[in-house]
Amino acid sequence: MIRLGLRLAVSGGREAVIRLVVLTAAVGLGVGLLLIAVSGINAVNSQNDRYAWFLTGNPGMPSGLASPHAKSREGATAETSGSTSADPLWWLLRDDVFDGQVIYRVDIAATGPASPVPPAIPRDPGPGQYYASPALAALLKTTPANELGDRYPGHLAGTIGDAALPSPDSLVIIAGDTAAQLAQAPGAARATSISATPPSGCNGDSCILGLGIDAKGLDLVLPVVALAMLVPVLVFIATATRLSAARREQRFAAMRLTGAAPKQISVIAAVESTVAALLGMAAGFGIFFGLRGPLAAIPFTGEPFFPGDLSLRLPGILIVTIGVPVAASVAARLALHRVHISPLGVTRRVTPQPPRAWRVLPLLAGLAELGFWVVRGAPKTIPGQVQALLPGFALVMAGLVLAGPWLTMAGARIMVLRTSRAATLIAARRLADNPRAAFRAVSGLVLALFITTVAAAIICTQDAKDGTTQVGGATASNILVDMNQGSFSRVAHYEVHTALGSARPAGLLARLRGIHGVGAALVLYADPGLTLPVSGRIGGHREQDQAGLVSCAQLATIPALGRCPAGAAVAAVDTNMGDTDLATATWPAAHVSAQRLDSLGALGIFVATNGSTRAVEQARTLLETAYPDASGAATFAEASIHASWRDVMYRQLADVVILVSLPIAGCTLAASIAAGLADRKRPFSMLRLAGAPLGGLQRVVALESAMPLLAVAAVAIGIGFGVSAMYATTQLAHPLVAPDAAYYLLTAAGIAVSLGIIAVTFPLLRRITGPEVARNE
Amino acid sequence: MSAGNQPAVAGQPGVIIEARGVVKSFGQTPALRGATLSTAQGEILAVMGPSGSGKSTLLHCLAGILTPDEGEVWFAGGRLDTRSEGERSALRRDRFGFVFQSGQLVPELTAEENVALPLLWSGTRRGPALAQARQWLGRLGLDGLERRRSGELSGGQAQRVALARGLVARPDIIFADEPTGSLDSVAGEHVMNLLTDAARQEGTTVILVTHEARVAAYASRQVIVRDGTVSTLTGVAP
Repeated sequence: MIRLGLRLAVSGGREAVIRLVVLTAAVGLGVGLLLIAVSGINAVNSQNDRYAWFLTGNPGMPSGLASPHAKSREGATAETSGSTSADPLWWLLRDDVFDGQVIYRVDIAATGPASPVPPAIPRDPGPGQYYASPALAALLKTTPANELGDRYPGHLAGTIGDAALPSPDSLVIIAGDTAAQLAQAPGAARATSISATPPSGCNGDSCILGLGIDAKGLDLVLPVVALAMLVPVLVFIATATRLSAARREQRFAAMRLTGAAPKQISVIAAVESTVAALLGMAAGFGIFFGLRGPLAAIPFTGEPFFPGDLSLRLPGILIVTIGVPVAASVAARLALHRVHISPLGVTRRVTPQPPRAWRVLPLLAGLAELGFWVVRGAPKTIPGQVQALLPGFALVMAGLVLAGPWLTMAGARIMVLRTSRAATLIAARRLADNPRAAFRAVSGLVLALFITTVAAAIICTQDAKDGTTQVGGATASNILVDMNQGSFSRVAHYEVHTALGSARPAGLLARLRGIHGVGAALVLYADPGLTLPVSGRIGGHREQDQAGLVSCAQLATIPALGRCPAGAAVAAVDTNMGDTDLATATWPAAHVSAQRLDSLGALGIFVATNGSTRAVEQARTLLETAYPDASGAATFAEASIHASWRDVMYRQLADVVILVSLPIAGCTLAASIAAGLADRKRPFSMLRLAGAPLGGLQRVVALESAMPLLAVAAVAIGIGFGVSAMYATTQLAHPLVAPDAAYYLLTAAGIAVSLGIIAVTFPLLRRITGPEVARNE
Repeated sequence: MSAGNQPAVAGQPGVIIEARGVVKSFGQTPALRGATLSTAQGEILAVMGPSGSGKSTLLHCLAGILTPDEGEVWFAGGRLDTRSEGERSALRRDRFGFVFQSGQLVPELTAEENVALPLLWSGTRRGPALAQARQWLGRLGLDGLERRRSGELSGGQAQRVALARGLVARPDIIFADEPTGSLDSVAGEHVMNLLTDAARQEGTTVILVTHEARVAAYASRQVIVRDGTVSTLTGVAP
């Protein structure tokens, strides 16, 4: 029997071969995607693990830490309590930027020979020495010193090994300093050991933003992403098994007529499916290893992986290599269970029962659960929030899949009663008859669209809540701001905690203005306690707007930052300029004389450039060498991207979900249509003979596929927005903000591609319903 | 009516459809080798012949399903074979009716919806289309089965539904290709009685392809197709 099954699978005629090829392709795609998903999760974990050492000195981490500046980054360093090491290491992590790329700068100062050493370097660099990542070392080599190298005085002692780099492109520098010098630097901490806890071990408000993925991200996001990609694949495999099912069952009936026992038929069916599964598994591993290199280079998390990060571990390999053939064999048995194959033919065991209304209950329960927390308010702790909201999201997602057939049936029945068009009638009757099959083809899409909608809507709402820069166009990328605002844990707002200092290096403004491509420079002066009058608030959405003072003469040289009222010499400006639409801003006059400004400390410096990399980087380097203890200067655009880095990453993952799931859903639709056409080849060809227009039959096929697709898309998107609104209310305390155009474009393009795939099956309809079919059947 | 060596003249009074020297091959296999046949309005014509003789091919050429390689097909005084596929489809939908051996009902639709299909394709509203369908089902003795699907009907019942569908648009010609081929003799006789009675009442021409003499006996005239040519067996040409 096994030998016969093998022969039938590989040389059982054209239809058997097509079936084998499609099934192999489906399983191969599924296995490939499964392996990529598993290795992707491993890669994110590996990348995250290599961020661990950056978190040395961070109060959010569980061990080996001591930071005197956990709560306040102002003023001088406080003495650390609880340090146990004889030779602690002074540690200061800052971010810097070059041409839009983040540079992780770690200043360290050993206090003795037993001081801990960061990973992947042989020893702590002494004052005047630094270690750089290979990417940064190359950049330093090829970039003029006044654009980058001057920021890091000293000489290169060596390169940092891969073990300390999250990504092959990471720009990292570990610079040596004196303990006395670093002890005075704002934000510096003393560490007794190097952190080995990755950002995923950080779970609280004190986590450092901008480094790796925290616990919430790993626990929640990645499994959801993997699920959203895998469900469409599993549905595709299930649909592919239905191809030529009728012909295959007739063949089995013929075997029964010649004396084959039911068990022998089961063995043959299992062998056929297992052959496809084994071939598909081999193809899947081929897809994985073939795509691993190119995939590693795609910055899914915002930065590329090392190819080795996309690795497979033994449990994953075993699950795939054993699980897939077993699953295929079981699927074959289940498929045969639905039919009774007798020597006289094939009969369906039971007419599928129509789906019942209870299927809507989980969806309603999920929405009710989320609604409950909207009314009651979410728990305060993150674990509490996860426990409260996760079941709701899970119920909604499962509910969408469960309710889909019932909704499809209800919609189709309404259409049956209302339509006067033959095509709509046939399509609606088929949908109403077997809504499970109709919905199955698009069920993967439901999850993908739901997850993408939720991700896009929540990310945009989060952005709006965070007050991500309102500054756009040339202003965003041309104006460099040095306000000591850009460090990792302070990136959310432009709130100023530390002035650049009252002493400005002599001639700094003149030197800045002397850079080719720099148009003007403006100093923002500190006036402690000054807040912007309500009447002067632009947009008026901030609770308390700390204000600074500017000379109207200087402001006039950078009109993109707003203007003074007529006749004013000094204006009070919002220090949160990034939250403001500067193009139309007229700042209120301040009752301070222009002469008094020189006696005030500087809050920050704005430099207007022509946007060229050379001008921006020369100005940035000059500012950073003038204020070595301050954080790196950043353009509005850079600061905005930095502030929303995690949202950007999630958005990329959402895009990945859509880009992977939509084509697979399209393939599923095509396979489903092909299977449906094969089922009705004869009646359709008879209808054509009797004069039914081909266009009408094409409308039948299009409606059968497009109706559930569009209905399901509408429901998934609608519920996605509803759930997002509840989440925004509960978690973000902010009204839902509509996603940006990219979301709508991607969704529309994905649906258009799916509809296009449906149209691709039309030639098949023409071919299989031709007169010769009716003659030869 | 004429057959064999007695071709009718196109537009001859009473002739509704005519094949003139039709040649049709499938690849290297000839099916028709100069078949000539004409049928009068209201006539019931049986086309007989052994398997593979070309009788179904002749029917398909007459119905505009296939276009001949050589020769002409005329319908109601105009050339049919030179019309476009779309025009021929419209003709089949509006002027012809079809009854085949089996498997012609759309399984998802009820009996009345199956019968109403030709009307719906032609743009008739749902209500009137279903009303006409129910009327025809009643005429063919299928009262009470309007809501049944094809899987819930016996072979004879399904064939009567197909017959109702062929007649519902009041076609000029019914093409019936082995309409009793899948039925027992009792059911076959019942279907043939209904078909011929309805055709006579409506004045519909019937072209019946069969290899069974007892079925052909329902026709007013019989022709035989052998080796792709037509010869007259019984009846008188109009």
